[in-house]
Amino acid sequence: MKLTEINIILIGIVSLLGVGFYGLLITRNLIKVVMVLQILVKAVVLAFVFSGKVSGNLGLGQSIAATVIVADTIVAVVGLALAVQVRRRFGTLDAPEISTLRG
Amino acid sequence: MNLLNFIWMITIPLIASPVVYLSGRLGTHEVVLQRRSYLVRGLALLAILLAWVPFVFSVRTFLTGGLLEFNIESIWLRVDGISLLVAAMVLVLGTMVILFSGPYMAGEVGEEKYYAMLLAMIGLMIGLACADDLFNLWVWFEGMAVSSYLLVAFYREQPASLEAGMKYLVQSAVGSVLVLLGVALVLANAGTLDMSGIHEAISRSEVNRWALLGAGALFVIGFGVKVAIVPLHTWLPDAHSQAPSGISAMLSGVVIEAGLIAMLRALSVLPGFSISWGILFMSFGALNILYGNLLALRQTMVKRLLAYSSLSHIGYILLGLGVAFYSGAELGAQGAFFHLFTHMLMKGLAFLAVGALIYGMFLQNDSHASLKVTDLAGAAQKYPLVALAFSIAVLALGGLPPLAGFMSKWQIFVAGFQVQNNWVTALMIFMALNSVLSLAYYAPLVNLMYRKSPSEQVLAGKPLPMAITLPLLLMMLAVIVLGFVPQLMNWVTAPAAQTFIAMFGR
Repeated sequence: MKLTEINIILIGIVSLLGVGFYGLLITRNLIKVVMVLQILVKAVVLAFVFSGKVSGNLGLGQSIAATVIVADTIVAVVGLALAVQVRRRFGTLDAPEISTLRG
Repeated sequence: MNLLNFIWMITIPLIASPVVYLSGRLGTHEVVLQRRSYLVRGLALLAILLAWVPFVFSVRTFLTGGLLEFNIESIWLRVDGISLLVAAMVLVLGTMVILFSGPYMAGEVGEEKYYAMLLAMIGLMIGLACADDLFNLWVWFEGMAVSSYLLVAFYREQPASLEAGMKYLVQSAVGSVLVLLGVALVLANAGTLDMSGIHEAISRSEVNRWALLGAGALFVIGFGVKVAIVPLHTWLPDAHSQAPSGISAMLSGVVIEAGLIAMLRALSVLPGFSISWGILFMSFGALNILYGNLLALRQTMVKRLLAYSSLSHIGYILLGLGVAFYSGAELGAQGAFFHLFTHMLMKGLAFLAVGALIYGMFLQNDSHASLKVTDLAGAAQKYPLVALAFSIAVLALGGLPPLAGFMSKWQIFVAGFQVQNNWVTALMIFMALNSVLSLAYYAPLVNLMYRKSPSEQVLAGKPLPMAITLPLLLMMLAVIVLGFVPQLMNWVTAPAAQTFIAMFGR
């Protein structure tokens, strides 16, 4: 596979997704979980720029990428706010330790 | 600025949301606090009642064949049968929940945030149903999701609520990443995100079928988290049982259904896979019904039991839609949409009735405990109306004729038999048997309330105010009336089913 621009971006998307999903599986700290989610979102942002480019509609791809960044920042903020509250109530950020609801 | 335009049913709640929030932050003096709470509640109720006006006029325009569209540049919002159905569901349940929450949430810390988020969620859900552009659909969806995370974790003093909120946030966020990947795949292949534009672009040029199928799979999994299709459901019982009761009703009654509508809209841009979606929906539907029922059987917490029953009801809806996908039968889609509506009424009523009991037994006594099944014993003696409403709700959910739940399940059942396919027939019989099985956990609740001697909690219970019993009464009447006259809802379920068939036209 030749290292053209397109291929480099594709490799970037796939590896970011790989890192993100692997991170979701192994991360226990809630702050890190939010960070891992942001890595996944960055993969998506790249994917939008990429698909804008291959479909010849770069403007649309980029504007969507900007919107995604804004929208997912809100999710990250809410996630971090919840993590702060979790730290206050439980005294820990470790996901398995706060897990009490079952069945 | 025509106030009768449909766009106002989206904008009124959205504009009201910050106004309600700010009005709740006015002044900090002790004397003001009480009056401020009334101001917040009053404004929220006023906003939702105002939103009914454009709704009624939109219905009138729609039924006379008028066009309902709105655009900013190239982003279109259009009203079709499905949008109207969702708007009707959201407004009915939203009004009831806001009325109910008045006393229920009174005096909670951050009451104004509750109403602000609730109104925002209502507006965003109606917007979601009108979106006509794939990315726009995602934006509405994400907005709705964010407001629901905050509402689930509303009792931030309670560790369990925080845990439920966190679980919900992480799973939904991963789901929305998958949806976005699907949208990016479609954009790469079609070059546009306008729904009708994608349809044209895809049918015109040679596109990779596998890429489209991949996008479809991403949509099913991504939105499936919100719809709580079985392997992706783990957030649902926690979130539904830990949220304030009004929010449990909203989540179970409209939010997961809005996720389903979003999934349908997203799938509709990928032509030519109807049969595959049909088989997928029917198998997941059957799985959801069985799994929800089996887990509900062994629950000891009332709200958790109702949450698992939501899983099985999503199964019935998926089954009805699957039949419609598979055979192109309008009746299946109509049954599924009717079940969406009746499920909203029944499950909303059930959660609000449980909320009323929690209010009387726990909140009035300054406790935030969860309602156990055993606490229900003898509740009918102290709370006859609530007990009656809850009994009617659970019996309707179990599909006892002549209540509303039976009628909608029956429509799906009939549509399935008309397909004349052995597998589908077998699935329908499976569904009917499961409906009977579900009575195994609904009936004991009724028995417990009417035939046992009152539990300690019931004896210590306080009386309920009018604002709590009124929504229960209204919804109970609706469940009974729709059971006797199911054709009352045809004006909205039939256009919704036609829209569905037009979206997946074959």
